[in-house]
Amino acid sequence: MALAIESPLADERPTAALASGAAASGDGDDVPGGRSRVMTVVGHVTLALLGLACIFPIYWMYSTSLRRPDDVYKTSVLPWPLSVDSYSKALDELDLGRLLLNTTLVALLTALGQLLTSVLAAYAFAVWNFPAKRLLYLAFVGTWLVPFQVTMLPNYVLLHDLGLLNSLTGVIVPNLVSALGVLMLRQHFDSFPRELLEAARIDGRSSWSTLWTVVVPNLRAPLAALAILLFVNAWNEYFWPAMVLQRGNLVLQLGINSFINSVETEEWGPLTAAAGLATLPIFALYLALQRQVINGFVRSGLK
Amino acid sequence: MFVEVAPPGLPAPASPPDAGAGTPARHIARGFGRGIVPYLYLAPALGMLVVWTYRPLAETVNYSFYSWNLSPTSPAKPVGWHNYHRVFTLPDVSGSVWRTVLMIALLLPFTIVIPVVVGLLTREVRGRAKTVYQALIFAPFLVAPVASAAVWEWMLTPGSGVVDRATGLKTNWLHERIPALLSITGIVGWQMLGFAVLVVSAGLASINGDYAEAASVDGASRWQATRWLTLPLLSPTLVFLLLTTVLLAGTWTFPLIDTLTQGGPVSSTTNIYYLLWQYGFKNFDAGLAAAAGVVFFLVFTLVALFLVWLSDRLAFHDN
Repeated sequence: MALAIESPLADERPTAALASGAAASGDGDDVPGGRSRVMTVVGHVTLALLGLACIFPIYWMYSTSLRRPDDVYKTSVLPWPLSVDSYSKALDELDLGRLLLNTTLVALLTALGQLLTSVLAAYAFAVWNFPAKRLLYLAFVGTWLVPFQVTMLPNYVLLHDLGLLNSLTGVIVPNLVSALGVLMLRQHFDSFPRELLEAARIDGRSSWSTLWTVVVPNLRAPLAALAILLFVNAWNEYFWPAMVLQRGNLVLQLGINSFINSVETEEWGPLTAAAGLATLPIFALYLALQRQVINGFVRSGLK
Repeated sequence: MFVEVAPPGLPAPASPPDAGAGTPARHIARGFGRGIVPYLYLAPALGMLVVWTYRPLAETVNYSFYSWNLSPTSPAKPVGWHNYHRVFTLPDVSGSVWRTVLMIALLLPFTIVIPVVVGLLTREVRGRAKTVYQALIFAPFLVAPVASAAVWEWMLTPGSGVVDRATGLKTNWLHERIPALLSITGIVGWQMLGFAVLVVSAGLASINGDYAEAASVDGASRWQATRWLTLPLLSPTLVFLLLTTVLLAGTWTFPLIDTLTQGGPVSSTTNIYYLLWQYGFKNFDAGLAAAAGVVFFLVFTLVALFLVWLSDRLAFHDN
């Protein structure tokens, strides 16, 4: 599928955007009435409304969690007066510290492992020609056709035989490869300047040292974007931990799930507080590195 | 998730399969050693792939010819094609297939229709403002499915939830058949919308503005240019989104179904993926789960190949 269009986000190409922007406003001057100005207003209104609609449930989650327990059912937009009662209640019922620690550990190790295997595999695909290269590449692409639910039983049996059920190792180990990572990195490695590789070779460097001293340092941006994407995916993963941990509550997603199902009376305050806390690290990452996060996901989608 | 999230939807084979097949690569490769070396670099990733994807796929095919309850102590009994016979005759299966199709159809407005309309309406918006809008629209995509299940369960609470309050309805969203199906797809749609909007917006940005300009010089109206130029040029992106939706709908919906409805009420939110899970881990019917898995794997492969073929056919528009 030839989605090989190099398609960065619009605002990532200032020159192109400026050029077409200039062209558009030029048109606007020629055509009395300035159709493009109307379109700009329509565009702003559309995006603003959509943005508000998209963000509202997230806002509602945090605003409910910050209301006083008696105010939870109020629908005032601002949660005033503020209260952290819901948070202390959630912290009483869920061992959030341990869940956060476990989830961070799992997400970090999974992402790093996937990054490492992806770097090595993408390097092999980009630098060498070897028998069965195309077939092996297809083996990575083909993983998208194999849904989890098709392989879960044999994998469950294997984990059982290895004694890894109910352990964090069992959550991490089977996920140490990411076809997405291999595919994304190969694109970048393929476009890496051949001259630099050649120079390294003439310097007498091995392929191993070239990878780590020449290629990787020069591809920090795409590697960072990919690392974030893999971390977020691992953080939010639900199916695999649910299967391996047998719904024991070792990671956040499972902890919140059992919290949802265990709350007898409807305690929305603590529930939204727990959900909000579980999402907070990801949002913090997003606020700090918005462009990298978006690029990681959207670019991977386009490639 | 996105091993669930953003699969390149198999675009890869189309990218130059032997990039750098010319002399320079071979030259470098010779200096770096040949023969076994590339395979050593590939070994970790490939090994994981074999152990955790392709070995189990083969074993699933094998299981599908046995009757087995997953217990290590009870032996598996060979039953021939019996499990496949059950797959094609059980009403549960056909029901869940239709619900899966319905869920995919209901997701398409979120992953294709709205993003295209929004993308076309907002081409003029640029700069800082656009970055802020994009940040807001993309945020739901980053919320863990379980956390979004929690907040939506609260918002959809009959009577006191903000949805019923705002609309004045008294719908019990998660415990009535049709509202439950709509809720699950709506929540997944809310999470996926931001991703799709950004993909479409990137697709639009990559279309060369010269075409539209030439058309407008020729006297084409804005709508004509959109209909006959922009949309055809955008079609590979749209096929990609369609492929993503079809292949990943099951993965996206699973955590929400498992958290919010457990497939109910009366199976009304049980899609095929949730059914496979139930067959395997609730009914402990490994043979049936495996046979159903094999059938769905084959069907989805055919659908994916068709869409990839379609995308290749559409792609030649843009040189």
